Amino acid sequence: MTKKTGDEPTVDLLINGVKVRAEPHMTIVEAAWAGGVPRITGASCLEGVCGSCRILLRRGQEVSVALACETFAEQGVETLFLPPPSAPRHQYELSDFKDGWDIQARFQEIFPEADRCRHCHGCVQSCPKGIAVEDGVALAAAGRFREAGEAFFECVMCELCDSACPEQIAPAHVGLFSRRITAFFHLRPPNLIHRLEELRQEPFSGSNNPAPLPGSDEKESS
Amino acid sequence: MTRGLSLQAALAAYRVDAELAPLPQPLEPDALLNAFHPDHLRDGIATLAVGPNAGARCPRELADLLQAEAYIDEVDLAGVEVTDTDVLVIGGGGAGSAAALAAAERGARVLLATKMRLGDSNTVMAEGGIQAAIEPDDSVQQHLQDTLRAGHHAGNPALVAAMVGDGPGVIRWLIRQGMQFDQTASGDLHTRRAGGISAPRIVHCRDYTGLEMMRALREAVIQHRGIEVWDQAPAVELLSNENGRKCVGAVLGSLDGQKLRIVRARSVILATGGIGRLHLHGFPTSNHLGATGDGLVLAYRIGARLCDLDSFQYHPTGLVNPPYLSGKLVTEGIRAAGALLLNAEGHRFIDELQPRDIVSAAIIRECREGRGIHPDTGGVGVWLDTARLERGQPGLIEQQFPKLLARSRIAGIDPRRDPVLVYPTLHYQNGGAVIDVDGATTVPGLYAAGEVAGGIHGHNRIMGNALLEIISFGRRAGMAAAISSHDRGPKKITLEHVNQARRALTLAGLPLTRRAPQIMPDYTAPGKDFQIAANPRSKS
Repeated sequence: MTKKTGDEPTVDLLINGVKVRAEPHMTIVEAAWAGGVPRITGASCLEGVCGSCRILLRRGQEVSVALACETFAEQGVETLFLPPPSAPRHQYELSDFKDGWDIQARFQEIFPEADRCRHCHGCVQSCPKGIAVEDGVALAAAGRFREAGEAFFECVMCELCDSACPEQIAPAHVGLFSRRITAFFHLRPPNLIHRLEELRQEPFSGSNNPAPLPGSDEKESS
Repeated sequence: MTRGLSLQAALAAYRVDAELAPLPQPLEPDALLNAFHPDHLRDGIATLAVGPNAGARCPRELADLLQAEAYIDEVDLAGVEVTDTDVLVIGGGGAGSAAALAAAERGARVLLATKMRLGDSNTVMAEGGIQAAIEPDDSVQQHLQDTLRAGHHAGNPALVAAMVGDGPGVIRWLIRQGMQFDQTASGDLHTRRAGGISAPRIVHCRDYTGLEMMRALREAVIQHRGIEVWDQAPAVELLSNENGRKCVGAVLGSLDGQKLRIVRARSVILATGGIGRLHLHGFPTSNHLGATGDGLVLAYRIGARLCDLDSFQYHPTGLVNPPYLSGKLVTEGIRAAGALLLNAEGHRFIDELQPRDIVSAAIIRECREGRGIHPDTGGVGVWLDTARLERGQPGLIEQQFPKLLARSRIAGIDPRRDPVLVYPTLHYQNGGAVIDVDGATTVPGLYAAGEVAGGIHGHNRIMGNALLEIISFGRRAGMAAAISSHDRGPKKITLEHVNQARRALTLAGLPLTRRAPQIMPDYTAPGKDFQIAANPRSKS
C-alpha cells in the first residue's frame, strides 16, 4: 500500500464530497482511506480485476467513469464512488439450452435490445479496460458468439457499459453470454474427454477409496 | 538486513544477454525452510488457550481473533428480521458460488450472503490456472502424489484423493457453467507445468484463469432461479441450537454496521476464504480486502476444530513496486514458461520450479544476506527476469500474460524491456477448518469449503490446486448440505455457543475487549466504520 511520505507535493481532491489531501502516486482508493472518507464499500481486489470500485470522475468540464484502484489522485478532480450495479434484467440459464442451432434465436429473445445499438459509443467510452464494446455487441447480434466473447476477454464485470447504454442493451451481460455459450456448446477437448472416459471405465479409488463426486457422470445434451 | 543494491544501480548493472553462471549447489530443503521460511519465525507466535485447538500454536494476529469476544449478544437479536432457507452459503467467491450452484442443482433453496459484492474474492485474482490430470503422460495418481509430497506429507490423503479424482470432472463442470480454457491447435486443453509437479497439468485461460472462472460462476449464480444473493452482508456470528453444539443459521450485518438480519438455515456452508489481510509477520499480501479470516473465527467460536494454523503460503513473486501494487502477484505461470530469478549480483540462486515454500525461502535468504535490490519506495526484492524470457521467446508475454502487461502499463513499467522486482507475499492459508470428504466440519450443520477449510495442502500448496479445491469441495459441500437439509429444520435459534466461548475466555483470564470477526482491515474506511458501528452496545 502507498504510504504518506511527506516528501512530495500533495494534491487536493474531492471524494464523495469530502475534501482529501493526498499524494499523487496514491490511487483514489488509497486517497479515500488516507482522507478518512467513510463508507467506501466498493473496493476489493485493488488490482483492477473485480470491477467493484466504480467511480464517477470530473476533471474540469470532462466527466468520465473509471475504477478507483487504477486511477491516481490528481489536483482538483472530483470523484464519487458509484453504488453497485442493480441485478441484470436479462434472465437465462445455460441448462435451458438444449440445441446449439437455436442459440441465435434464443439470444434475440433474451437480449432483444442488442440489435438496436445506435452507435453512441457510450459503452466504449465507459469501459475501463478499453474493450471494443460496441463491436462485441454487434458480433453477438449477428450470431458470431465466439468472436463476440473474445472481444470481451478482459471484461471485469464492472458493468459500467450497462449503465452507459441508452438502449439498455446490457453489453457486459451480452459479452458474458457470448463467452459462456461458446464454452457450453463448443469446448470439447479430446484430452479431457479421453481422461473422463478412462475414469468412467475405471474410477479413481485413491488411497482411502473416497466416494466419487456424485453427478460427475451426468448426461449432457448438446 | 544487509544492504544490497539500489534499484537504479541494479537496473544499470542488468544485462538481458548476460551469460549466467550455473546454479550453486542447493541447500538441503529443510535447512533452507527452517532458516528462512516465515512459518519458522520464532517471534510473533502465540499458543491458543481456549477452544477446540487449545495448546496449538499460530501467528499472534490470528490467535488474537480466534480468542476474541463476539460482536453480538442475545439481547441484540430481539426484533431482528428472520429469513428461512435450506442452505445458507457465507462467501461469494469461487467456493461459495460452486457450493450454491451444487445445492441449488439438488433442489435446495439457497441464500448466498457475501461480505462485499458477489465475485469479490481471491478467486477473481487467480492467474496461473487449475490442476487436472488430463494429459496422456499424467495420471490422477501422480497428481495425488505431487500434492502430498509438496505438502510435506501433512495433508489428509483421503481429502487429497477426493480432490484429485474430481479434477477432470471439475473442468467439465466448469465448461458447463460457461468457462473457457486455452486450447492447442488440435483442440486439446493447453497444459502448463508448475513448481513441484511431475507432468504438465495446469489448465488455464491465459493469465486470467480466476477472472474467467469467477465471471462465469457469478453469472451462473445470479441467473439461477433457486439462488438468492445478498451483497454487502457480512456474517457477524453463527447461530446454534439450545446446547450450542449444532449450527442452525447465522446473523448477518451490513458493511456500515447499521443493520442485522437473522438467517435460519438447515445447513450453513462457510466459504469465506483466507487471512492475507491480517498481514502476518508484517508481510504484504496478494489477497483481496475482505480476506480477514472471518470464517475461521466463526467456526472456532462454535466449536469446530481447525488444523495447520501455523502454516501459510508466501507466494515467491509478489510485486515490490509501485507501492500501490505491493504484494500483488506475478503468476507462477511465467516461471513455468521459463522466466528465471536473479539476485542483485545477476546470479541465479534457486531452481525456479521448486515448490513455492522453497523458492520463497531462497528469495528471503538472498535479500537477508545482502543480495537484494532496494527501491527508494521501500521494500526489497530480487529480479524476475521477464525481459530475458521475452528475448528468448518474443511475443510470448503479450500472448499468454495479458494481465501482467495490462497492470504494468498502468504502473508505467514494461516487463518485456526490464526485469520485475519481486519478493514473497502472504498468499494462502494452508490449514483451516477440519472437514471430511463432504466438506462437513466437526460441528453438525456446519460445512466449510475453499481456503477456509484445511487438511488438503498440508504445509505447502502447489499452483493450481486452490482453484481445483474450491470447485471440488465447494460442490461436495453444496450437495451434502442440500441432502442433509431434508432433516427437520431447527426449532430454536440461540447464541449459546457465544455464551460458552465467553465463559471459556473469562476462565482463561483472557480480555473481552477485542471483537471478531474483523470484517475489514482497520486501515480501510469500512474497517473503521465497522469498528464504530457494528457493536450495538458500544453506541449507547
